[in-house]
Amino acid sequence: MIKSHAHIWFIGPALVLMTVILLIPILIAMGLSVTDYSLGNMGAEFVGFENYEKIFTRSAYEKMFGATFRYVFVVVPLTVGLGLGSALLIHSLGRFGDIYKTIYFLPVMAALIAMAIVWEFAFHPTIGVINSTLERGCGTWLELWTWYAKGCERSFPLWLQDRDYAIWTVSFIGVWQGFGFNMVLYLAGLTSIPRSLYDAAEMDGAKRGWDRFRLVTWPLLGPTTVFVVTISFIRSFQVFDMVEAFYPQGGGPSKSVFVMMFAIYEKGIQQNLMGIGAAITVVFLAFVMVLTLIQRWLVERRTHYA
Amino acid sequence: MSQISLSGIHKSFGSTEVLKGVSLDIEAGEFVTLVGPSGCGKSTLLRILAGLDSADTGDVRIQAQSVTQTRAADRNLAMVFQSYALYPHLSVAENMMTPLKMRELGWAGRLPIVGPLVARRACRDIHARVEAVAETLKITPLLARKPGQLSGGQRQRVALGRAMVRDPVAFLMDEPLSNLDAALRVHMRAELSELHRRLNATFVYVTHDQAEALTMSDRMAVMMQGEILQVGPPDEIYHNPASLAVARFIGSPAINVLPGEKLADGRVVLLGQRLFNVQSGQPRALFIGLRPEHLHLAAEGRFEGMISHRENLGSDLFLHLTLKEMDNPVVIRAHPDQARNVARGHNVRFDLDPAKVLFFEADGQRVTLDGARQLEVAQ
Repeated sequence: MIKSHAHIWFIGPALVLMTVILLIPILIAMGLSVTDYSLGNMGAEFVGFENYEKIFTRSAYEKMFGATFRYVFVVVPLTVGLGLGSALLIHSLGRFGDIYKTIYFLPVMAALIAMAIVWEFAFHPTIGVINSTLERGCGTWLELWTWYAKGCERSFPLWLQDRDYAIWTVSFIGVWQGFGFNMVLYLAGLTSIPRSLYDAAEMDGAKRGWDRFRLVTWPLLGPTTVFVVTISFIRSFQVFDMVEAFYPQGGGPSKSVFVMMFAIYEKGIQQNLMGIGAAITVVFLAFVMVLTLIQRWLVERRTHYA
Repeated sequence: MSQISLSGIHKSFGSTEVLKGVSLDIEAGEFVTLVGPSGCGKSTLLRILAGLDSADTGDVRIQAQSVTQTRAADRNLAMVFQSYALYPHLSVAENMMTPLKMRELGWAGRLPIVGPLVARRACRDIHARVEAVAETLKITPLLARKPGQLSGGQRQRVALGRAMVRDPVAFLMDEPLSNLDAALRVHMRAELSELHRRLNATFVYVTHDQAEALTMSDRMAVMMQGEILQVGPPDEIYHNPASLAVARFIGSPAINVLPGEKLADGRVVLLGQRLFNVQSGQPRALFIGLRPEHLHLAAEGRFEGMISHRENLGSDLFLHLTLKEMDNPVVIRAHPDQARNVARGHNVRFDLDPAKVLFFEADGQRVTLDGARQLEVAQ
């Protein structure tokens, strides 16, 4: 019997590529994360888990986790919710749907660096359009709101430079930028729901929009939702360019916007501390890995209908 | 008083007129089939009856009440869809419970876990009814499964079950058997008829398959190009079609249509042969319809043709004969014993049963020729 080796030629190229551009870099990062290597050094000392210990004990990294999780847990629910809401509204529109689709998708296509500059102007404390609009409301019934009254009395917040507001402002821009993407995914999901199911729901007596949503729309969007949530998580964990544009030095007021990707950049590239940068990368990878595994499990268990 | 009455239904999609003033009355307990080629508007008519589409003009009445302005959910009709339209995320039992839950439970009773506690009696009642229907349809072992795990035939039953759990005024079925394989379709035909007898309910059934219409219905309505051409019991439609279009659509293999002629002296002539004499009058051209079973092979037959194709169905044998005088072949039914020795390419002689001949005007309208039968007998 002649043994064929054809299978090696089928899977070989993919396997080699995956090893070279994915697995080996990950292994190198893991290796670096237990050393104190700096770019340009001839050698490096093995330091064990010292880098990881730093990540989980030092206050700078505590801030990093705080900023990352604040951003992620604001941006993910809001982008998913707004994405679904706008997709439902646009789907119900006949004629102007395409216009809204384009409008909401524009921020996704725009270069975030350029958008960041525009937002920086908008949020500028003296010449920015946001605060000057807010000032117009002074002296009206809006002052019944104590926060507003305080703003009129002194000044409205320095949105991007105040450590109490910075991360929420950045999150807001993240939502503005990101929900169009989820909307497009949801629109695709909505068009794939068979019309006959809505007919069946009507015959079965689902009279209100909410009944139809509960009975047909939401369950049939299940697979889309799992995908949208996962991709939103990963995208928000990866937020970097906006932070870099707003705060090129140091990750915002009192490091309140010191998100993970920026931390990797600052440590590994700016300060040339490869060891610690690699360690943050490995932690980041672990987060993404866990999310992906949860998604796979959900898709297989809960939303796989066929 | 009829149970369901459609009158003067018009419907256009854009510039295409799909229904051109259709009227139909359906009695309580009747099995009525709307049959026609695809695109004839039969499904649209059913959807208008269901309330899923609205007619441009015309009136829909159910039990003497006009429901033209009533939405589908309030018309108390049940529908079985061609694609079954089962909710893929719900189990069979939940699918069948849905219409009851939607109608009989308040918002609290429909909540996932709390619901059965809030409306305990109603929920138990719903379970009992679903189980009873499942028993009737023999799908009890499937109740816990999801639609994705069922075969086509099983899904079909579940869809039927979802319609049956309520007590609707009528069951509407939109080509429910068209996604099944041939053997199962034949089996389900019998089962649906049986179900209709047992439930004693009104069925409105849409199909493009004339075999389904002929086998199951009490009455059938033949639709073509947005109009009902003829309504009547299957037997009558088959033997007594009102027009050439109906005659051509109903019957398989299709009826043979041959050009004929009535001469001034009253002779009716087909392919140069005198069929019989009728009262004399204006000469005119006719179409003569002959069903394959009304033609027979005969050594002394008046017509001759060459066998171009044999279709053996076991019980019957259909021969396609090419005639010198005609472009289209004539299909004739022969008994397998009789036709054992004939092969493709042979010339055979055949004759017809004069009592069964159907005459149509040039415009397709059916005509009876005065005295045709009597003269034939006298001859």
